[in-house]
Parts: sequence; structure tokens; C-alpha cells
Amino acid sequence: MNQTKTFSGPHIRTANTTRNIMLHVAISLMPALLGSIYFFGIRSLYITGLSVTVCVLTEYIWQKLAKKPVTAGDFSAVVTGILLAFNMPVTAPLWVIVAADVFSILVVKQMFGGIGCNFANPALMGRLLTMVVWPGTVMQYVAPRTLTASGFDAVSSATVLGAVKNGGEAGYSYLQMLLGETPGALGETSKLLLLVGFAYMCFMGIVNAEAALTYIGTVVLLTFVFGPSGLFTGDILLNLFGGGLILGACYMLTDYAFASRRGRLLYAVTAGVITAAIRIFSFYPEGICFGILTANCLAGALSLLHKKHVYGVKKLKLEEYS
Amino acid sequence: MQKLQKSVFPGGVHPTDGFDKALSMNCAVTPYYPETVTILSEQSFGGKCSFLVKPGEHVKEGQLIGKPEAFMAAPLHASVSGKVLAVKEITEQGRRLMACILQREESPVSEAEASYKKGTADISLISRQEILTGIRNGGLTGMGGAGFPTHKKYETDKKITDLLINGAECEPFLTCDYRLMLEEGYALLNGVRLLLKGSGAKKAYICMEDNKPLAAENLQKILTEMSSSGLMAEEEKLEIRVLPTKYPQGGERQLIQGVLGREVPMGGLPADVGVIVSNVGTAKAAADMILGNTPLTKRIVTATGSVKNPGNYLVPVGTSAKELIQLCGGITTAQNRIIAGGPMTGPCVAHNWNGETELFHVTKNTSGILVLSEPGYEEQPCIRCSGCESVCPAGLVPYKIEFALLDEDYDLCEKLYASECIACGCCSYICPARRELSVRTREARDIVKQRMRERAVKKS
Repeated sequence: MNQTKTFSGPHIRTANTTRNIMLHVAISLMPALLGSIYFFGIRSLYITGLSVTVCVLTEYIWQKLAKKPVTAGDFSAVVTGILLAFNMPVTAPLWVIVAADVFSILVVKQMFGGIGCNFANPALMGRLLTMVVWPGTVMQYVAPRTLTASGFDAVSSATVLGAVKNGGEAGYSYLQMLLGETPGALGETSKLLLLVGFAYMCFMGIVNAEAALTYIGTVVLLTFVFGPSGLFTGDILLNLFGGGLILGACYMLTDYAFASRRGRLLYAVTAGVITAAIRIFSFYPEGICFGILTANCLAGALSLLHKKHVYGVKKLKLEEYS
Repeated sequence: MQKLQKSVFPGGVHPTDGFDKALSMNCAVTPYYPETVTILSEQSFGGKCSFLVKPGEHVKEGQLIGKPEAFMAAPLHASVSGKVLAVKEITEQGRRLMACILQREESPVSEAEASYKKGTADISLISRQEILTGIRNGGLTGMGGAGFPTHKKYETDKKITDLLINGAECEPFLTCDYRLMLEEGYALLNGVRLLLKGSGAKKAYICMEDNKPLAAENLQKILTEMSSSGLMAEEEKLEIRVLPTKYPQGGERQLIQGVLGREVPMGGLPADVGVIVSNVGTAKAAADMILGNTPLTKRIVTATGSVKNPGNYLVPVGTSAKELIQLCGGITTAQNRIIAGGPMTGPCVAHNWNGETELFHVTKNTSGILVLSEPGYEEQPCIRCSGCESVCPAGLVPYKIEFALLDEDYDLCEKLYASECIACGCCSYICPARRELSVRTREARDIVKQRMRERAVKKS
């Protein structure tokens, strides 16, 4: 990083800094965190706290060791930590979370050059690692505490989308799905609270809402058109609120490094098509993780397809005006 | 007739949301007569003049004292009546320049206001050639930005269809053009009529941002009065255009795009698309020269920011910036930056200035003196938020150009059209990581342009 102190203009700057953008993102995740504490118990708070601590520490130690400027205080590692925890079931062993955190920050983020240089969303890569390496521990979802009789014993249960995928019934009403009273990863279930956070980010003007909405739209449309029992038979609300679509669209897909380039709509549509294809054709019920990660990797190429007009490059003739 | 135009150039930013202009917006223009003035031989970058006077000589205000020597130069006139103290080399903003120091000997006399300053002037007897000669002899230069000699713009052999008079004043803090439009409406509009005739254009648009409703109202009123006076010819078509407030609305290229929907071709000048853009100050100076026979020796300067009493001052060219800040009651912050011009494009002339040392001297294109408290930010790594890309009015991708420059990959800089940077500073303004994008893109632009020139030389 160049610490050149220049005194040339502009001498005034916008109030937004990397730090307060990331802080706002972290704040916007708080309602969903509270929701997860309510639905899955206080362990969700411990998991999130651990994840954040490990992420920030990993970043700090790496930057110290590599003799790089320390940017661990810019809250981006905090956001990664929260999002990673949100992708875990409340029963996930702590060492799995630590491993995923270290992988996300060290391998996916810092090894590729730190903030902004990651080739894919670090939190999703962490989730992918745990899905592949320890599927038994992290793909075991539990029903919310509020629905179990004892209130504290975790009861293993299939997610809504998983149950439907295997030919079963959803077993939960759409309202329950919206509020978050369904089995699932700890942060993904309470859609309403995630949307509250998303609205906050939109209000602060720090998120590319168009990319998120395009992605959601694409997934919902495609899963509706190519439904399980013929054309136009998909369940819109189930696909919208049943899984991690909202979390993925609002917080993962909109990672600045990918969703703010030009061609971002194409990027969102690509992610949507892949997600929908996985939901329709593969045995994975969700497809969000793969959809977004694939689109992350394609983002650079996709932005090249969208040529931007440079002022004055198109030659015009005077006769056209007079 | 006043219409608010919706479609404008892409990109742009809204810096500081308007509180800045309020500092000096209601400060009427006050004349100030300094004891000594230091007139620089280069009024704008590259506009070198040689002095015709010797120390000890007595000069009258408006007397020709400098003869243009370079393409970018315009004649220089004495801005006060008095004695030449010295003609010597001084250090101005880090450059060694010749300067003529004049001591004022006569007190300013208040004259009766000329008729062109309070009514419609009859310009039917003034030929186009007379206007062009007047512009040349009056030493007129662009008074908003780079200080390009006005006669170079008007003596073009290209066909001019439209004249844009730039009163957008999109730079935050500055209000000198606003005060001019408010206080010197008659002289300004008479000047616009002269420039319209001089350019041979069909229509003149006086453009301003919608944060100056009083100025628009004032000019509209005067324009209506003028067109009903019977002294305005049929073919004199003037229109007031109110544009949305957005920086850089007053950038020459962006103004053309916003008002006329044309784009100046790459490497071209506005005349290539049949347009001339002149600042409101230049139009007023044209009226002063041709109707009032006074060359360009004074201008309005806004002194604002962290000073006790911000204000607008009508000062002779060569007035010291230090004196102007003292006139405003001095600075109010020790951790400061002193900026010559607006905060977006103006150079920083002093840092943590103590109020003692000499700063710079007013030239024909100095629009303001700004004192800002030191912002104190540090560069962070780019987070690829593409904010710079979305605000760039030229349609560039500043963060990619920055990376290419830091990698010394100048071929890539060229492919990314770094040569088209207009140096507006939007990219640096918006960057949450506080990258010095504007500085580096400008650097890339200069390198790419140099390479293009070298290639052209090789070919020929």
C-alpha cells in the first residue's frame, strides 16, 4: 500500500470510508443475529462471536507476519466472520468454524492480495470447504428451539427445501419461513430480519440492490417456470423463503468486488441461472453457494462483455447538429 | 422559458451538499485596492509573456505591460496606476517566474457607471472583426478554469453553431460567478451578445446550476427587458438554461453534453462540434473591453472556507492571496490546506500555513482562495467497489487505470483511455479507500499523451 501524502486535489472527500461501509454491513446483520439467538439459542451468539474473533485475529496475525499494513480493524473481517457463522448450523463443532474462518481469511482473502482482491466471496468459500470436508457436521440442521418440546435439545431435522427435494412435505407454513421458524443455518432462516438489514443497507446507499433483486428474481422465475411437476408449477414462496436465497442475495452476491462492476446484472442473472439449475436438476436443494461462487469467478469475464461508453470516442459529424 | 434540464452527462458527484456555498453566497462583491500588486508573466500554465516596462517607470491602469510570447498567452495590462517597483524572478507555487511588481500611487476614483452596465447596449455598429480585435487586445482569457486565451477560441475557422456561457460554478465553496450574475447582469448579458456576434453562433445559452435560482431570475428579468428594448437584433438569440446541480456540471465537455447532447471527439476541441464555451466572467470582461474600453485587469475572487468572514472581492490581477485572507479576518484553523481555486481541482499551495508566508498572487483565472482544515486521511487498499467507475463523467475506469499505472503498464493505460481523463477529481472524491485515483489517472493521462505524441513524431 502506498502511503504517499499528496496535496493535490480533490481536497474534500465523501464521508464514506471502507471502515464505515463495513461497519454498516455488520450493523445490518444484527437483527438477523438476534433472530437466530431467539430461534436457535444463545449458542448462535457464541458461534458468531468466535467466528468474528478468529477472522479478525487471522487477518491481524497474517498481516503482521507478512509485514503488510494492518487493515484488520476495517470491519471487513468482522463481516466475513458473521456471514460465515450465519452459514453454519447451530450444532456445528467449534473447530469446524475455526477451520473455515482461517481458510476464508487466510487462503481466499489474504493469499490473493487482501480486501478487494479475493477471487470469490470468502464466507462462501469457507462454507464450501466445510460442506466438502465435513459434510456430516455442517449439513445437519436442527429445528428451532421454539418448536421443540424441551426447548434446549437440538432435534435433527431436514431443511424445508431439502424435505421438498426428497419428495416430502415442507412441513412449515410460509409465515414460519418468513419469520425464520424453520430448520436451517443459524443466520439464513429469519428472512424478515435479513430483509430489514438489507433495507438498512439500501437506505445507507452501500449495497447494489439491483444485483440482489435481479438474482432473487432470476431464481424465483426459473424455479417457477421449470417446476417439479411440469412447466409453471414451481412454488414461488417456497423458493423465495425456504432456503438461504435472501441471505445469499443480500450479503454474499453483493460482495463489492463482484457486484459493483459494470455488467453486474449479467453477473446476477448468471448466478441466478446456476442456482436455479442446481435446485431443479441436482440433488442439492439450495444451490446458492455454487451459484454465487461460480458467478464470482466469472464476474471479471462478464464485465468485459459490457462495454462502457467513453466520452468522445464515438466520432460524430457536425452536420448532425446544424 | 427557463427550463430545468433533466438529461445530463453520466456520472458526477454531489460534494458537500451545499453548505459550502452558503458561506459566501450572500456576500456582495467588495472592491479591494492593494498597495502593491505582483503581476505574473504566466497568467495561466504555459501562457508566457515578456514585460515591456522597466523598474521606475510609471504606468496607468489598463496600460499594456506584457506582450504574449507563447501560444497560450494573452496580452498583459497594468492592474493599478503607479510605479513599477521591480521586474524580477520570483517563486510562485514552486515555479520560478518573472513578475512585475507595481506600487499603487493613485487612489481609485469612483466613476459614473457606464451605460452598458445598466441597460441594453447598441452593438449593431460594432463589427465582428472589431469584437475579435477587442477580445485579443483586452487580454481576455478563460476565467473559469485553465485560462485558455479567449481570442484563440473565437478566431477559429470551424463553423460555430452554439455559444455556451458557463455560469454553472459547480465547484463547491466558490460563489464569484454567482455574484457576478447577480450584480453585473447587464454587463454580462451585453458581453454575451458581443461574444455571440464575435463567434458567429446562432444561439447563446447562459448555463447555471439550479442552486442559483436568484441569479437565473435576475438574468431572465434583464433578458426580457433587453429583448423588449428594441436594441437587440432579431438574430440575437439568448437563452437561460438551468441545469441540475451536479459536479462537474461546469466542465466544458460535460456542459456541452448536458446542454446540447454532443460529445467533443477524442483529442478534439469544442469547436469541432461547433461549440464555444466561455465563462460568465469572460463575457463580462468582453463587455468591459469593447463597450467600456477597459482591458481585463480585475476579477472577482471568492475567499472562503475556514476564515473568519468569507467574502467575494473585486481585486486587481496580482493581488496577494495572503492579503485577501487577512481581509477575511484570517484563518481559523492551524491544521489547514490553502487552495488556489475550488476544492475539487484547485492546487494546494500551502499546508499548515501560519498566516505569515506569501502564498500566491491572483491571476486572470483565479476564482477563489479556499482554506480547508486538513482532512487527514490515509490511503487504504482498493476494495473494488467501482464507485470511481460509476461517477466518472468521462466513462473511464479509474481504479483499473491506477493499477495499470502502478504496474507501469502504459499500454493498458492507453487501452483504458487514460488520455480522456478530464481531471475532475470525482473518482478520488468518492473513493471509500481514499485512493489518490485522480492524481494517478492524471499521471497516466500525461504519460499516454506523451507516448501518443512520440508515436506521431516517429510516423511523420
